[in-house]
Amino acid sequence: MLKVEDLSVSFGGVRALQNVNFEVHKHEVLGLVGPNGAGKTTSFNVLSGVVKPVSGTVTYDGHDILKSSMHQRVTYGIGRTFQIPQPMHELTVRENLIVAQRFGRPDGKVKQDRIDEILESVNLSHKSESDAATELALTERKALEVAKALATEPTLLMLDEVLAGLETTSKKLFMETLKKIRKQYNLSMIVIEHDIETIMNMCDRVVVFNFGQVIAEGDPEETFRNPEVVRSYTGEVLA
Amino acid sequence: MELTAQALFTGLLMGGFYGLIAVGLALVFGTMKVINLAHGELVLLAAYIAYALESQTGLNPMLSLPIAMAVVIVAALVTFYLTNQIKKDRELNSLILTFGLGIVLTNGLLMVFSADIYSTQSSWFMEGVVIADSLFSMRSEMIAFIVGIAALGGLYWWLNHTWHGRAIRSVSSNRDAAKLMGMNPTKAELWSWGVAGVLAALAGVMLYVTSVIHPPVGHSLTIKAFVITVLAGMGSIPGVLVGAIMIGVIEGLTTTYFQSSLAELASMTVFLLVLLVMPSGLFGKKGAH
Repeated sequence: MLKVEDLSVSFGGVRALQNVNFEVHKHEVLGLVGPNGAGKTTSFNVLSGVVKPVSGTVTYDGHDILKSSMHQRVTYGIGRTFQIPQPMHELTVRENLIVAQRFGRPDGKVKQDRIDEILESVNLSHKSESDAATELALTERKALEVAKALATEPTLLMLDEVLAGLETTSKKLFMETLKKIRKQYNLSMIVIEHDIETIMNMCDRVVVFNFGQVIAEGDPEETFRNPEVVRSYTGEVLA
Repeated sequence: MELTAQALFTGLLMGGFYGLIAVGLALVFGTMKVINLAHGELVLLAAYIAYALESQTGLNPMLSLPIAMAVVIVAALVTFYLTNQIKKDRELNSLILTFGLGIVLTNGLLMVFSADIYSTQSSWFMEGVVIADSLFSMRSEMIAFIVGIAALGGLYWWLNHTWHGRAIRSVSSNRDAAKLMGMNPTKAELWSWGVAGVLAALAGVMLYVTSVIHPPVGHSLTIKAFVITVLAGMGSIPGVLVGAIMIGVIEGLTTTYFQSSLAELASMTVFLLVLLVMPSGLFGKKGAH
């Protein structure tokens, strides 16, 4: 479904990604894990079009997405959330979703029943007419971030630390919401998350990054027992 | 009492017109975060087109609007194209670019039309209108006020009820997030510059029928538009109307009770005081970018 091959990214003289390879299969939830600065968000930024790579290819459902603009990738079915929610400040919650439906779908049709369904899925029905900038709490802003991406009707949803900053109860509830959404819309997902419990609970497979390289991948439980992965988390520099 | 009512009425009329002058600049700033320092010159360009057509063919200035709009839209889109070529520090570098374009336009007008002062030759616009038996204005001031309010209302409706309008508001709100919702921000920006061109043309023709024109006027129009845009809260259309009326009323009262030369000083003082208390402007949102 999504294939990343030999992806490298540089910021000035700093190599942020070095020959990164991974795949996401249909209906799979893939976790990207690793210490801060390992290259997880940079990978997201390349996939969504925020950052241009130095070399490598990324194909999604047969499209060479590196040749497409950011907004074109959305119409191919790639949705993304940001670590810090980015609601449209000038629009209400419902308008945020209407705009995403109108511009993010290839046919440009707005389906009000789909918008109602999404609002209900992320528990925002009661806030649909609220001002996105001033009237939403953090959990609600995160829910809106997911809802906006869902409104573009993605087949692949990329979630960048969507649970970060939430307290334990909200985090658990939100994680259940994400699992429900995945089933409801038959989604593939890529999840960046620091919380190991969340990764174990949500992901079918993980890819571990360190210093811009993939150092391990596979079943979450087995991968987290890998000594090299443990070393990367405890701060030991790769030999 | 009557004098105060007349000053307030005149200020209100001026405010509606000032709103029309400022709203194009506010729209472009809201969408692209570019302060178009050539905006006043675009307004003035439309005014000179109305003058040229009236003096050469005797055409009623109001009927010159389609031609003025066509020319000013093209000029606005050229400005957009040039601004869009700036790849680094666009917000800052566009100030220099648009300031330069303003100088080019002013000097172009100076070369073609000389430094002479012109106003409409039609006395119909200068005739008086009396409202409620005591409030007086020129017919042109009433027209400019009505056109200003209608244009601001129309723009507000367009931004809130059309897809192009919603796209502009989204890009204005968060450019990267808008892209992730499938929007092409360049298209939205193109629309906002085009609409700003239409508004500048309307303002220019109204300027020609209500006032006098000569090349340096463009620069003071830009300053006026900028002050109103900042006072409004960057990018807010209702804020532009309230800010413009506020400036108009302060100038009207100062002219009536003190002297006209102090009008701009008074409005600038109030402008600074408002910013001291409300740094985001009258309608600026704290959470907005």
